[in-house]
Amino acid sequence: MTVTDLTATERPHTTSSAPRRRGRGLAPVLPALVLVSFVFVIPVLALLLRSVLEPEPGLQNYAAFFASTTYLKVLGNTFLVAGTVTVVTVLLGFPVAWFLAIAPSVWSRLLFAIVILSMWTNLLARTYAWMVLLQRTGIINRTLMNLGLISEPLPLINNLVGVTIGMTYIMLPFMILPLHATIKAMDPAIFQAAALCGASRWQAFTRVMLPLTGSGIAAGALMVFVMSLGYFITPALLGGTANMMLAELIAQLVQSLLDWGLAGAAALVLLVITLAIYMIQLRFFGFGETRS
Amino acid sequence: MLLDFARLGAWRVALILIAGLVGAYLLLPILLIVALSFGSSQWLQFPPPGWTLRWYEALFDDPDWLASFLTSFQIAAVVTVLSVLIGLMASFGLTRGTFRGRAALRALFLTPMILPVVVLAVALYAFFLRLHLNGTFLGFVLAHLVIALPFSIIAISNALERFDRDIETAAIVCGASPLEAKIRVTLPGIRLGLISAAIFSFLASWDEVVIAIFMASPDLQTLPVRIFGTLRQDLSPVIAAVSTLLIALTAGLMALAAFFRKDARS
Repeated sequence: MTVTDLTATERPHTTSSAPRRRGRGLAPVLPALVLVSFVFVIPVLALLLRSVLEPEPGLQNYAAFFASTTYLKVLGNTFLVAGTVTVVTVLLGFPVAWFLAIAPSVWSRLLFAIVILSMWTNLLARTYAWMVLLQRTGIINRTLMNLGLISEPLPLINNLVGVTIGMTYIMLPFMILPLHATIKAMDPAIFQAAALCGASRWQAFTRVMLPLTGSGIAAGALMVFVMSLGYFITPALLGGTANMMLAELIAQLVQSLLDWGLAGAAALVLLVITLAIYMIQLRFFGFGETRS
Repeated sequence: MLLDFARLGAWRVALILIAGLVGAYLLLPILLIVALSFGSSQWLQFPPPGWTLRWYEALFDDPDWLASFLTSFQIAAVVTVLSVLIGLMASFGLTRGTFRGRAALRALFLTPMILPVVVLAVALYAFFLRLHLNGTFLGFVLAHLVIALPFSIIAISNALERFDRDIETAAIVCGASPLEAKIRVTLPGIRLGLISAAIFSFLASWDEVVIAIFMASPDLQTLPVRIFGTLRQDLSPVIAAVSTLLIALTAGLMALAAFFRKDARS
């Protein structure tokens, strides 16, 4: 943009500040810039630097991370849980989003309020509920035993099953809300056209609805997947020590083992995967519209 | 056909069934906590053998719970004010500025929202150790502010972009100074953006737990840190009581948000 372009788009009252025009608007951004630099950029870069500087310069932390079966298993757990949670939230979230978009307003409004309430309810309160529900002597196990369906309590907590159930619960709203917006925006006339052309319900679903909501599903799935990868609290409380996930490993490397080099390496691995997925999302689906 | 509920045919049954089950899945844990917080069983039996308020009494008698509640509230209040102020200034710069790299800067400001929070927590823990900020009020405020700021910037920028700037220009033509026009015309015009920035900033700080776990000291803990610590030891019904209060707070804020949305429509 040249100076003349700028002048042409300027509003009348700003022409008085002509000499400062080029950098106009930078000053009010500075407090945010200073904050984000000192409380975000520099600390994160410092952490990542430690991964190649501690205990001595080199890539040995990365070598150690990828050579260790323990750490690779942590990475595997992380992908397994995030993948399962993503698939289940799509399968459960899609019908719910569909229902929300077309059901009579009383019912859809009620369900919508439940989705929002559960999303806004404190994360620890929700995780606590699942800890109570999933215990060996918890309500789920006791009910199943009273019904005679099982004779021994199922191991539902302190393992990946518990983590997956708890995480699915927490991630569902993040799938339902964007999908609801996508389905709501569809034009009913498209389906009338499909029916006129002789499509059965099943054909209309697979050949019209799914392709049209595909980008919404993919965007929601990527978001749920990437959020699940980095989750700390729910895996820490519902998971077991034997089945750690990546975020928990990073915390433990710092808190118990004081191994900053390896923690930095693990953090970079998590960061690279996360940012790579966001790049895919940005490239194919745009960014931000589904979040707020 | 597929978007007409009445003409879904047999599919409607499946849709109602799944929606009902998922709704129950989402709602029941919340109702369960509320029920257990009033239940007399220490072992979290359901249905409870009797009803009692003793977990709430235990909660309010414990100075540590009150202290952490107060700590959380104070931090969140300071974070909210700073987040809206800094976010407002940044949003003006980002939406109206003419400097280079605005898009990149905006992306930078929003990054703390998408970065895995554990990475930021560990990074801040190390950085603040050197500055002796761990376990301090200032440390908490700074860390939570970085988490809250993206919400402010999104809410206020969106409001500013929707705001018709000609109204501000008109005020200036009528003799207001540019600052006066911003304060008396633009700010009221974007008040819904400011309110939602404040609500989201407050919640971001109030609910933040991962960073707080690393930031906390024995003397200074936020409410989520205390809940997390207690949960690691036992599942005391006192936690159900705390959780119920938090759920009530959430429901209250939801009602407030709904009220303002209605206000905006009328």
